[in-house]
Amino acid sequence: MIHYIYDGSFDGLLTAVYEAYYRKDNVYDIVPEDNIEENFLVQNIFIPTDGEKSSTVYKSIENKISREALRRIFYVYLSELPRHGIIILKYIQLGFKLGAQLDLNLSNDIVLMMNNIYAKVSRERHGMLGLLRFKELENGIFYGAIEPDYNIIGLIAPHFESRMTNENWIIHDVKRGVGVFYNKEEWVIRNIKPTDSLVMKEEEEEYQELWKEYFKSIAIENKINPKLQKRNMPMRYWKYLVEKH
Amino acid sequence: MEVLEKLRILSDAAKYDVSCSSSGSNRKNKNGGLGAAENSGICHSWSDDGRCISLLKILMTNYCIYDCAYCVNRFSNDLPRATFTPDEIVDLTINFYKRNYIEGLFLSSAVFKSPNHTMEMIFQVVKKLREEEKFNGYIHTKAIPGADKEIVEKVGKYVDRMSVNIELPTEEGLKLLAPKKNKESILKPMKLIKAGITQSIEETKKFRFSPKFVPAGQTTQLIVGATADSDLKVLRLSEGLYNSYGLKRVYYSAFIPVSTNPKLPAIKSPPLVRENRLYQADWLLRFYGFQSGELLDENKPDFDLALDPKCDWALRNINLFPVEINRADYNMLLRVPGIGVKSAMRIIQARRFSAIDFYDLKKLGIVLKRAQYFITCKGKHYGVKSMDGEIIRNYLTEKPIKFSNYQQLSLFDQVSIEDKYIEIGGQF
Repeated sequence: MIHYIYDGSFDGLLTAVYEAYYRKDNVYDIVPEDNIEENFLVQNIFIPTDGEKSSTVYKSIENKISREALRRIFYVYLSELPRHGIIILKYIQLGFKLGAQLDLNLSNDIVLMMNNIYAKVSRERHGMLGLLRFKELENGIFYGAIEPDYNIIGLIAPHFESRMTNENWIIHDVKRGVGVFYNKEEWVIRNIKPTDSLVMKEEEEEYQELWKEYFKSIAIENKINPKLQKRNMPMRYWKYLVEKH
Repeated sequence: MEVLEKLRILSDAAKYDVSCSSSGSNRKNKNGGLGAAENSGICHSWSDDGRCISLLKILMTNYCIYDCAYCVNRFSNDLPRATFTPDEIVDLTINFYKRNYIEGLFLSSAVFKSPNHTMEMIFQVVKKLREEEKFNGYIHTKAIPGADKEIVEKVGKYVDRMSVNIELPTEEGLKLLAPKKNKESILKPMKLIKAGITQSIEETKKFRFSPKFVPAGQTTQLIVGATADSDLKVLRLSEGLYNSYGLKRVYYSAFIPVSTNPKLPAIKSPPLVRENRLYQADWLLRFYGFQSGELLDENKPDFDLALDPKCDWALRNINLFPVEINRADYNMLLRVPGIGVKSAMRIIQARRFSAIDFYDLKKLGIVLKRAQYFITCKGKHYGVKSMDGEIIRNYLTEKPIKFSNYQQLSLFDQVSIEDKYIEIGGQF
């Protein structure tokens, strides 16, 4: 069984797709390097990332399949789920046969799997637009921590860029140790070292108290329904919700 | 009084308004302001009753000149009263928004002094938010019944959505429980908003940058169960509002006993199932091509509480079923119980590539619990043998069997529905 190993970047994954095409290997999976599995039966082949090869694949997906397919591939890559690499490879191979019609073929297992993972990532992205909570730090920066299932900070950043244009803010993915930094002009993704000293602005706590009070008094006592609440707002997201502490 | 105290009183007083949607507007952030609206709407939290929180929903004041029997804020009710200043509301909205707690503001009010005076207070807040704070988030306000044209138009230019609550679906109901309101005073602002929206759409066609008027449309709310009105009356009213007033949504609110007034029905708990049935029927009107007359009529003026309106309709029209999933057109697919808009579109899409069988439907994520009785796939039917409405009704309304810890195992009990169709259909 051949496993292609890539460096974890999207370009790396697309390079692996390129190689799978031209080397004609019977690839069993495409795995990011920090997820390598040592197995007697597996032959690991490291694929060095190559910008030219990856952009060839990028462009041909866009031209021969669709922009929508490209977006799906990116979302599935961000899911970081097991076997996402091989699903993407098979999806692209199928796409080069079917062209723009690819995503309509819902009874195909690969298309369906792509569709389901894409839906999961989009759902979390949309959910996080609402569930992210900013705190105002002493220096006026708005800081929000999250621990999403999928690697979505890059997907939610444009949303906050368009509404918090005139503020400095940071969205910190604590689980992955990365963050989006915005400085009123542009945003970048950088690694964040664990830090425990965030000093809040004085009035921050006041607004948190107001929000908690609002959260309590807006619920109708005769209709209390914790099951519905948890279904809509899964408990794994409560850690950073001001109103749930 | 502290802001915290006011917030407690005035959000508590606003909570019976069920509308909380932040959808339908795509207001952009401009001139380096704060915020933007998202067309799909965004929920930011879910309160302990499981309802979505997307807006800061508060009353401007709960001092009221009216004494409507169904309402907590009626003046004869002894409860703490408060009034926000415009600055307090603006500060709360901006600071909640920056912390991503909310999508915007939903400002309502009890009627203070007069309808026009109350609207003027609301106007002060929205003007300040839009002009001084350059706030481009979502704003939903009430239009107070009885308010004049000028003030409704002034407010409409700043907000995304406006709503006038009808509350009681008939004039007799209003006379009994809200004697100071009448049909005309409620419908007047609704007509004004509709006219404003129509005019604004016309102007946008001519001048691309003409200011928008209530871009997310208007909504209303009906209380269910405070009067003896039937579901048919409620649903006909909704249908009329959608068709002739162009409403975006009608919300239904199960009546919650807030006083012991003898004019009100004595109920222990709010009629939540009935509320749910009305929402289901409302969806059927808006997205499924149903007419109110198909769902209910004079002989059957109320919904079956045990079965959803679509199933009920299908069972009464069982001669139309089963439909072949590979041939039925979109409109017919929509009428199959258990198949929604998304599922119907997926079926249409998937069958262009190859004929679909029962197993494919499962893969597409279509819930077959109800649909199985009403469809065939490639000519095969997996429901019950005879298309008898009564028999299917029994299957659909049967309660799931509860497993207790100590139970005698039996070969014949506890046959799941899934097993049943294996038995009957002979295959999975």
